[in-house]
Amino acid sequence: MLQYKNVLTTCPYCGAGCNYYLQVFDNQIVGVLPSKTHPVSQGKLCIKGWNAGDFVNHADRLTKPLMKKDGKFVEISWDEALKTVAGKLTEYKEKFGPDSLATLSSAKCTNEENFLMMKFARAVLGTNNVDHCARLCHASTVVGLVQSFGSGAMTNSIVELEDADCIFIIGSNTLEQHPLVGRYIQRAKEKGAKIIVADPRIITLVQIADYHLRHRPGTDVALFNGMMNVIISEGLEDKQFIKERTEGIEDLTETVKKYTPEYVAKITGVPAELIVEAARTYAKAERAAIVYSMGITQHTTGVDNVKSSGNLAMLTGNVGKASTGVNPLRGQNNVQGACDMGALPNVYSGYQNVTDEKARAKFEEAWKTKLPDKVGLTIIEMMDNAVKGNLKAMYIMGENPMVSDPDINHVKEALENLEFLVVQDIFLTETAQLADIVLPATTYAEKDGTFTSTERLVQLIRTAIEPIGESRPDWKIISDLAKLMGSIDFKYNSPSEIMDEIAALTPSYHGISNARLEEGGLAWPCPTSEHPGTPFLHKEKFTRPNGKGQLFGIEFKEAAELPDKEYPFLLTTGRVTFHFHTGTMTRRTALLDREVPTGFVEINPADAEKLGIRDEELVSVQSRRGKIEIKAMVTDRIPENIVFIPFHFAECAANLLTNSAYDPVAKIPEFKVCAVKVEKIK
Amino acid sequence: MIGKVRELAKEWLTTKKVDAIFGLRKQNNDVAPYLFTDVKELKDLVLSIDNRICFTVRPSKQNIVHLIQKNSPDMKIGIIARGCDERALIELAKRFQIDLEKIEILGVACTNKDAEECLCPIPYPKTIIIGEKAEGVSLDKIKNVESLLGKTLEEKAAFWKEQLSKCIKCYGCRNVCPMCICKECKLEEDLWVKSGELPPDFPMYHFIRFYHMADRCIECGQCEKACPAGIPLLTISKLVRKDVKELFDYEAGKDVEQESPLVTTLDETPLKEEAKDVAV
Repeated sequence: MLQYKNVLTTCPYCGAGCNYYLQVFDNQIVGVLPSKTHPVSQGKLCIKGWNAGDFVNHADRLTKPLMKKDGKFVEISWDEALKTVAGKLTEYKEKFGPDSLATLSSAKCTNEENFLMMKFARAVLGTNNVDHCARLCHASTVVGLVQSFGSGAMTNSIVELEDADCIFIIGSNTLEQHPLVGRYIQRAKEKGAKIIVADPRIITLVQIADYHLRHRPGTDVALFNGMMNVIISEGLEDKQFIKERTEGIEDLTETVKKYTPEYVAKITGVPAELIVEAARTYAKAERAAIVYSMGITQHTTGVDNVKSSGNLAMLTGNVGKASTGVNPLRGQNNVQGACDMGALPNVYSGYQNVTDEKARAKFEEAWKTKLPDKVGLTIIEMMDNAVKGNLKAMYIMGENPMVSDPDINHVKEALENLEFLVVQDIFLTETAQLADIVLPATTYAEKDGTFTSTERLVQLIRTAIEPIGESRPDWKIISDLAKLMGSIDFKYNSPSEIMDEIAALTPSYHGISNARLEEGGLAWPCPTSEHPGTPFLHKEKFTRPNGKGQLFGIEFKEAAELPDKEYPFLLTTGRVTFHFHTGTMTRRTALLDREVPTGFVEINPADAEKLGIRDEELVSVQSRRGKIEIKAMVTDRIPENIVFIPFHFAECAANLLTNSAYDPVAKIPEFKVCAVKVEKIK
Repeated sequence: MIGKVRELAKEWLTTKKVDAIFGLRKQNNDVAPYLFTDVKELKDLVLSIDNRICFTVRPSKQNIVHLIQKNSPDMKIGIIARGCDERALIELAKRFQIDLEKIEILGVACTNKDAEECLCPIPYPKTIIIGEKAEGVSLDKIKNVESLLGKTLEEKAAFWKEQLSKCIKCYGCRNVCPMCICKECKLEEDLWVKSGELPPDFPMYHFIRFYHMADRCIECGQCEKACPAGIPLLTISKLVRKDVKELFDYEAGKDVEQESPLVTTLDETPLKEEAKDVAV
């Protein structure tokens, strides 16, 4: 008899957290059916979600552990693979100390797996060298919003956007990168909201924008300051909110004084009158929301940009109530969760500092082992240390730094310089190809667990089919390795048991259990088992220790590398709606691959004419760090003197060109600005 | 009403009138299609106008009933069908996708409220087993249609251009459509719609589909409900359906014997669609 089932699960692509059913016929995924009752998806999905069952059974799936012998991979047994990894990691730990090891956790994996990976690094390897790709996308959000508000997450929930009176979108190509979030911006517009888009490119959302501010990449602080200058000089600020709920207004007022619209127009290239109108529109709205994403975070001034968004929101009293707030859109299905779980070098789960003795003692007691007290290395620092030879071995789970990280030549040098590299993934990624051992993991469709979406919503994923080949869920692999390395802990029978440990040790997840999640998602903070979850933060007071929001006076600083005579173009990088990050999954999905099979460089027609470049012609793009050949797309979408490349495509990788200069606090690299030259290929 | 449906489903299963009942089941605080074979499970059987029982499985591009029959050709299935589900089954049978001989329709009439919510013109199946016939919503009562009818050609074009430019190319309208079952879809051919562009080509991306649906659309409205951008897709479908009715006196989903006037040879004798993907 036919076994037909529908398994409700959470989408593995962006942070919107849409739910759908995987339709399964006799252990085969045959399709995707959107959930009609899910708060965000409401029976709708984007093109990636509709096709998210496709890559699961792709012929390229890793089905057996691999070991590199004489430069070639050979299949080995799980037993041999795990013993080799455990043996090598133990050997380096003993010979060079725990800090000669590092792990990369994964924003694609579940909360349970991220929790285990950070526990493995800290309790088994004995190092705080654990990080993940949040470093590359929203590290500045985590740091910046903590300084402003006390909590580094999206302040409001997605559906609330629909009832905003004004939405200011800066550095987020929402309709393409978070399409189901973009939908609520479209709906707000139809209900009469004013839409302000700040983006150098004519992104699809510009169609419905009342104001489009095409600022030069890297000038976000100046733009924010200019808007605040107008608001303060016209007396449009929310004086009561500022007085009762914030501190630091004097510093802010003093700093923004010189950022007159005319001055800011010179820096940003946005006409002064447009800055004035946008500022007035935002400030006069009853409920105004800010939506941002990597357009402001991926800068050497990423933290400044994020804090500036907090400034603008608090200056106008737009925090702590429905349909307002500062709404960073997280790029990955579980990047919020990976951060919450403490897959970061400085914190345990729930952002409890590793340098805080009390926090450390709590985890030491729970895990019955001594834990390291020194803050570990971030991704970029790991690569630097690998090049220098200080880092001997790395264990990478579900990340592909060979495409996703800036300055790939440097990453390659680093990974090749390691004495031992383990990569655990679902496909043989560009990074896995450099590994000594490759461990085949399962996809989201073959395991249980939870993802935490961009709106802090913790939701279940459910096993739809049996693991493909000999692949195993990441939580099992980590647990087995830990036990092989002598841990008496890590005896989990299911992800649900791991969630119980997470809840016990993580205040914001205290009230969460799988039994509750069966009934639907819960937004943290959820402190008790009766607590309904928290759709928007900072209602009565901010989560900073004194309960006040912090305003900052922030000066504008230029990006680390600006165009010059030799490299006259400013390169900014990003994404297309049809692909996801390094393309590992989307490029193995027929419909998505058909839509956009390879990369391109967007160049303005005026620039193209000067260089004698025609549309679709193969051109060379070169920076101080690398050179690629890529198809030109001649389009008005991009302003003159700026070029744009989506970073998904390894064969013309934007990140061979990008600059690894990073924000001093968040250590997020500057993916959005570097200098390149574009040349015709003769 | 649901009590009666469960009772009848139980009777059909216990008397072996059918081997399985295909309906909707309460699951994870949500609703999903389910193939009931055990009477004990029928307590979770539900009705929901938001979920159709006759839909195309994506990306497999085959109707769910077709897939079930392909996998279990001998199984006799009872299908809990509303008017729209039944019309879809009729159209699918006409196109050799399913075998109606092996299907018993447990026809459920929609309420007035259901009909109004779906803007449904025929909110009941041909044979109503459960429920009472409610009045359909006529075309002139639909807001969009009414305002469009008074417009000039240019105004209409402007209206649709604005609406269709909201599209994010999710293919959701095509994906949910119970009748979009072509193995090779024109929307995926660069000749017709340039790939990789947002919004997709106006008006080709959407209008190819509307024309292909002219003799198939059964007005279930799933396309509009699946659209993240809120494009009033059902309005176009209704207007096209109206034209087909007026021009050819043809209504999709009405009668399995009535062949589509749009499938003809040049000598005007009806041509059967190729039966290469026959279910059984």
